[in-house]
Amino acid sequence: MADVHQAALKARIVKALEEPKHSAALLRCMQRGRDNRARALTELPGGADFRGTVKAVKDRCIEHQVELVNRFIANAEARGTRVFCARNGQEAIDYVLKLASDRKAKVIAKSKSLTTEEIEINDPLIEAGLKVIETDLGELIIQLVHEKPYHLVFPSVHKMAADVAKIFAKETGTEVSEDIPSIMKVVRAYLRPIFLNADIGMTGANVGIAENGCIVIETNEGNGRLVSSIGDCHVCVMGIEKIVDTIEDAMLMVLAHPVSASGQLPTTYVTWMGGRSPLGEGESRGPRESHIILLDNGRRSTRDDVAMRESLNCIRCGACMNVCPTYGVVGGHVFGHIYPGPIGIPWTAQVHGLENAGAFASLCISCGLCKEICPAEIDMPMMIAEVKRRFAVEHGFAKAERTMMGADGFAALGSAMAPIANRMIQSKTARKVMRATLGIDERRALPPFTHQTFKKWFHARKRVSQESKRRVAFFVDVFANHNRPDLGQSAVELLERLGCEVALPEQRSSGYPFIAYGNLDKAREVATFNIARLAPFAKDGYDIVATEPTAAYCLKSAYLTLLHSSNDSEFVAGRSHEFFEYLIDFDTGTTEFPSLKGRRFGFHISCHQRPLGAGHGAVEWIRRHGGEVKIIETGTCCGMGGTFGLKSGPLGYDLSMAVGKPLFDLFNQSGVDAILTESSVCAIQLREGTGLPVYHPLELLAQ
Amino acid sequence: MASNVVTRFMEKHAALSGKPHRVRSSAEAADAIADILAAIGAQRVALANLSQELSAAIERTLSGKVLELRKEPFPASTLPHAIDDCQAGITGMAFGIAQTATLAEIAVNDAQRLVSALPRTHIGIVHAKDVVETLEDAAPLLRSIFQQNPSNCTVSFISGPSRTGDIELKLTLGVHGPGEQHAIIIEE
Ligand code: SF4
Ligand code: SF4
Repeated sequence: MADVHQAALKARIVKALEEPKHSAALLRCMQRGRDNRARALTELPGGADFRGTVKAVKDRCIEHQVELVNRFIANAEARGTRVFCARNGQEAIDYVLKLASDRKAKVIAKSKSLTTEEIEINDPLIEAGLKVIETDLGELIIQLVHEKPYHLVFPSVHKMAADVAKIFAKETGTEVSEDIPSIMKVVRAYLRPIFLNADIGMTGANVGIAENGCIVIETNEGNGRLVSSIGDCHVCVMGIEKIVDTIEDAMLMVLAHPVSASGQLPTTYVTWMGGRSPLGEGESRGPRESHIILLDNGRRSTRDDVAMRESLNCIRCGACMNVCPTYGVVGGHVFGHIYPGPIGIPWTAQVHGLENAGAFASLCISCGLCKEICPAEIDMPMMIAEVKRRFAVEHGFAKAERTMMGADGFAALGSAMAPIANRMIQSKTARKVMRATLGIDERRALPPFTHQTFKKWFHARKRVSQESKRRVAFFVDVFANHNRPDLGQSAVELLERLGCEVALPEQRSSGYPFIAYGNLDKAREVATFNIARLAPFAKDGYDIVATEPTAAYCLKSAYLTLLHSSNDSEFVAGRSHEFFEYLIDFDTGTTEFPSLKGRRFGFHISCHQRPLGAGHGAVEWIRRHGGEVKIIETGTCCGMGGTFGLKSGPLGYDLSMAVGKPLFDLFNQSGVDAILTESSVCAIQLREGTGLPVYHPLELLAQ
Repeated sequence: MASNVVTRFMEKHAALSGKPHRVRSSAEAADAIADILAAIGAQRVALANLSQELSAAIERTLSGKVLELRKEPFPASTLPHAIDDCQAGITGMAFGIAQTATLAEIAVNDAQRLVSALPRTHIGIVHAKDVVETLEDAAPLLRSIFQQNPSNCTVSFISGPSRTGDIELKLTLGVHGPGEQHAIIIEE
């Protein structure tokens, strides 16, 4: 039962929520990463365009992987490097153990390498009597306290200076004061003899180049340079997916990596290493060798797994970690196995198994933000949905997830029995029952149902036929149909006033909850249904318009992925619009309706709206009508995550509120009179979190 | 044209906490080096990868000012300590990249890498004519370097001092490598 599996996760979430200091540090780190990245993009010619290029290069290199790996090996060996292909972690570990014993090595100095974390190489080496020391400061800190990385780029971000001082005081047996410069002196002195006396230097590689057999190692601290030059034996452990074709390909990664990771361009040290060099002239300590271990560990089968293949495009920049709303609150020890954060879910599934991935995959609320920031444009939300699907095949769905995926039927029932249903959602006792049976949190104010749904209204009303300039097919989502039909009505009436002919094709609600909880078969079924109904309208010249951001996102993006970019889905996507992005082109602000002069609004961008214009249309429309509006955002999610925040307990309401807290604070400090958002579920969250009135921009029409 | 590239290089280098210097000759470069070394009170200095002309100019200028100049070839038996022991390292750079204020070092002996990696202060010297605009422009240069060195060769891109943000994300310089990074650009 999935509920049993989630119990352990919930306990970990509760514990993380009790450590707000860690989350605060992490959130600062994420914010800084996002801000710096945004700044770096303004300096970069072409801005964020490099993402498309990175994706194209990675796609090409993964496609030709077999040939590239062979060419890389041949060229690296021609430079005197020994290359070993390890099928799994154990083979890699055994290789290093033998190497260390052959060379009678005592000390291994390591430079940051996630791949060696992946195979957990340190413990067996230490058990064999070797001294293994991480030399990247963040990695060293977590090594000394026996933890796993909290963040991919900043593994020890949850440790404050005072914690770090204590850690080094204990390790060195001396007093260490808590200011950072003093700590740095201690660290430099502690690590120097390790660098100088290391027998083996072990690094990862950010890139391998087939063209010339070189590896590329990026570090800011310079530890990678020392580790790869001093010890007589250098071992590089790298995943085969890191191999690119040309130097130009590698150069693109060298650019994309730091820009995405921290907004710093460039990484301070980039070492392009081709073969092993001597150290000085004349007699040295021993033969100088270099070894490259090319690790498979599930990568080859990932390449053959269509739904997961794209995960091999990951360049390990950590940017997805900098936007993920739930990761930001619970951190990488809860949101991760060894690989933390969004990409951690598919990677864990591929290299550490479905069970380990399924144990934290339900933390993903499917906001889609990771996909928007990823330099390789990896569709993580869809891959995570696939992980959830596979896990559910084994363990079923949790109760609350089943409820949310049944929301459509539930809402239909709610509308049909509106007076009773509305009394129930107000009644404390009934709500307790609903928590127990449906998994809906009783603290959550639920929106009342209306008896007359939007669809009923639409079909029942009388239309005055008129000369139409545009033809619009309206796409309505579950909430707009059952709970707030007035919004759809306003939208339709406004469109008609502006000379549009509006049609309502047969349709089901968007089905996004099926993606969010991983029932991809159902999601595909809904997508197929809707695309089949909408495509004829699109082909007939209708523009398809949705007021709910998530519904528009389905039409423009998610359905394409689900239906493998079928012709019809492409066609529909091409003619689909988010309501205000559409309206703004021809509503010049001259329509008669109450002026918004003197009113001050704060606008909330819903996550699914970010790739659809990020609210630009709505904001512009309000300004044209005289309203003052500013976008207020933390750069991540309000916490609702569609229906996630309706679920009870830590893996729902509690976490959702914790995610939203910084945004609630911003709104409360902003001095606005009201919040505007186009997402009906974000509206519920913001109303509850801020106590401020929250409107859909269309509601302003009626005021 | 060339001088614009140098200006861009210098601005970016300074933004990365590096210390850029523009000079007009090897002799001026040597003077700038003498000033830097005097400021940090360096007594032992390692040199690598320098042209004969530069090396001679530096030796001339520094004679009597520092206790010891260590030069290639470095006996293997004394390494890495002989370089770790130095307060400053001075190396000649193959080319520069303005976009990222990168100094590119070619090493076919790891002792050369240590000169720019171990001491607390590193001074890299590059000729203005060898500074290219972007990372992209550097790709063909790398290609020919690796073609000319078909066995072992390491190219290091150095862009500013050693830095870390691992404690509270506060930028801290010189955790392992040089905390002070100078770029001397010779415009002849
Ligand atoms: S979709 Fe949102 S919640 Fe899910 S992993 Fe990506 S950023 Fe995190
Ligand atoms: S998935 Fe994308 S954003 Fe996340 S670490 Fe990989 S490359 Fe970076």
